[in-house]
Amino acid sequence: MRVSHAETDTSFRPDKDIDVIIVGQSVHHEDLSVTYREHTRVKLSYLHSLGTRRQENHGLCSVALGGSLAARFPTPAGRQVALWSVASRHHPTLLSATPMQWRGFLMGVPLAQNNRYWKQRTKYTIRPIGMRKTGGRDYTGRIRTHGIGGGHKQRYRMIDFQRLNFEKETDKPSFQEKVMEVRYDPCRSADIALVAGGSRKRWIIATENMEVGDIITTSSTIGRMAVSANEGDSYALGALPVGTLINNLEVYPGKGSQYIRAAGTCGVLLRKVNGTAIVQLPSKQQVQVLETCMVTVGRVSNINHNKRIIGKAGRNRWLGKRPSSGLWQRKGGWAGRKIKPLPAMKSYINLAPVGSAS
Amino acid sequence: MSPRQSGFVEHSKGPPQRKSTPDVHIPGLEPITYADRMHYVPGLAKPVFPPWERGWHDPYHYTGPKNQEMPLYKEKPCYVFHRRTSVLEGVRQALWLTKSKRINGLPSQIVSLAEDPANQVDNQDERVEQAIKHARFWDTTEDRPSKETFCPVLLNDLLHLCRTVQVKHPALGKRMLAEDYTLAAYWNRGEDLFQVRGKNGTLMSSVSPLPAIAGKEEVASTADYVLETFYPIAPTIDLQLTHVYQEKTHTGFKEGYPYPHAHTVFHLEAKRPFRLFPEQLRAKMIMFAFANALARAQACYGTQPQVLEQPVVVQSVATNGRVFQFIVLQLNTTELEMDTGVKNMVWLEQDLPLYDYAKVRPLIKKKVVEVPAGLAGYQPDTFKKFLALYLHGAV
Repeated sequence: MRVSHAETDTSFRPDKDIDVIIVGQSVHHEDLSVTYREHTRVKLSYLHSLGTRRQENHGLCSVALGGSLAARFPTPAGRQVALWSVASRHHPTLLSATPMQWRGFLMGVPLAQNNRYWKQRTKYTIRPIGMRKTGGRDYTGRIRTHGIGGGHKQRYRMIDFQRLNFEKETDKPSFQEKVMEVRYDPCRSADIALVAGGSRKRWIIATENMEVGDIITTSSTIGRMAVSANEGDSYALGALPVGTLINNLEVYPGKGSQYIRAAGTCGVLLRKVNGTAIVQLPSKQQVQVLETCMVTVGRVSNINHNKRIIGKAGRNRWLGKRPSSGLWQRKGGWAGRKIKPLPAMKSYINLAPVGSAS
Repeated sequence: MSPRQSGFVEHSKGPPQRKSTPDVHIPGLEPITYADRMHYVPGLAKPVFPPWERGWHDPYHYTGPKNQEMPLYKEKPCYVFHRRTSVLEGVRQALWLTKSKRINGLPSQIVSLAEDPANQVDNQDERVEQAIKHARFWDTTEDRPSKETFCPVLLNDLLHLCRTVQVKHPALGKRMLAEDYTLAAYWNRGEDLFQVRGKNGTLMSSVSPLPAIAGKEEVASTADYVLETFYPIAPTIDLQLTHVYQEKTHTGFKEGYPYPHAHTVFHLEAKRPFRLFPEQLRAKMIMFAFANALARAQACYGTQPQVLEQPVVVQSVATNGRVFQFIVLQLNTTELEMDTGVKNMVWLEQDLPLYDYAKVRPLIKKKVVEVPAGLAGYQPDTFKKFLALYLHGAV
């Protein structure tokens, strides 16, 4: 006779080897014709049908395999103990199952309200994704940013900030897309546009005068002549004439735009020097980037964003902004206008360090 | 050293991820892990275990084989149109995919059938209004029936009305309605392979085929027609791209089915998440009518692409319970690969309302009744056309 855990023994075959099963507090033996309750039979057949499925819920504790165990256990409370004692007398080593390999800490309590599965998506989609509000809390659950909470439910639309993002298996230097829709986006101040080209669709940041039906061009070639670009087109900085109003500025080629994405903003291409371009940001700071960085021509949409009137405290609550404390404090030396020199030009060009040449 | 010390960075919440150091594998050296200690030890590598296998089949945790390992996997992709496909360019895209020429309005044969008073049902207008009222007001225990309820009821009532004409035209008895039949059709267009698959609306089929609508000269003249393109958008947009598919054309009925000729496909507006805009609904009607015709043509004339001797005609009707769309498609050719040559033809009659309002409660704005309760604005021409499409081929 052999006794083993049904959970760990993979050679367990319920149809052949089974002889005695303890389910709950009842014992079943085929030779002995023990009487048991009705629900025990049901669970036994369920076990047969499922094979070696774990039966924690049904209270399966052990299974005797092969041979015959001609023992009848008198009291329900003593049955389980009796089988264990009988079994362990014969094969004490087989009772303790082989130790399971340890597989990291398993957190018992799912922290569902803090999970960020909606952010984990890697495949692009134009479908709006439901967001979860953080209320300004970070991963530990503590407040990291004050004044956030509540507001209308919002959905996130994945914006493709890489305008020069080729469609699969195509690598054209320039391609065109058609604007299908221009709409409000709750997640940013600018409007967004749905563009379609080839057999894909994507969301981009809309420019000021973008309309449904427009054809917009994206091109990475830098020719000898500067191009005459239409608004909404996207070119490398080196291809554009000096003085062009631009938005959606990349600072590293191919990384995707990071600057000048807010509503109504635009930058100016000031000059092109030696394979680099110098751009004035909306803050009047100047940045120097490589001329292969992609930009969109024109000004970002929703230019009246800063002119809107909030009107009442409640509207800020709709937007998910909580009131500040309201404590009156006397103005000190920090108040009033300052005359500060502009910060120095910021360079995003990774020039080779001096030491590396040697 | 292990690259990642913490075990659950991937999908749980956590601090901003640290940059992981690359794994260093030195041949002949095995990293000392803390597997046998059974707890984390600083300085020892994180053990890597083989993926756990259950050892038995659990249908709730089944993962199918990869696409590449499936027997039907093919290198060449296929674009599939099914009943939930919403194509961006609508009718234009459907016309390109089926290589068809669009003609606005119904063909003259059907218009003359519709205008002939001899073809009408007795007390036609009154009975149609009764049918609308049955669908919109009476056929429910609720206050008002939902769209999913009244839409099929209205269609069935109208079809029942059409069937009463069978007394005058006995040929109408040789018709059959089939719901939930599965259709399959594939064809090459350009360099791509296209398919229409799956269930679609209700099919009315008949013993005898529909007569060709356009004559031989008219069919031959379509060779000069230039198909409309929609650059920069590709015709494959919004179709489902798959590598696992079967090249199969089947009408959905067994060999020897006594009603082999598809007559009319009836589409109802789908439920909420799969509802299509009217333009996309018309594209779906064209695609499924075309697939029915193509499956029939390939069953009759073989799979070799050719200009058909006897064109195959399939009609299609779609409704949302108020507005009707009618389509008649004539399949002239199965040579779809090139843009040149004879084209197929599509007659399109769109957005015909059967009535304007069917209100359970009146529409009141600023204490003024704008639309009274009950049926308002019944338009008899729509049902005449519906009846004419039904009678087509039997009169």
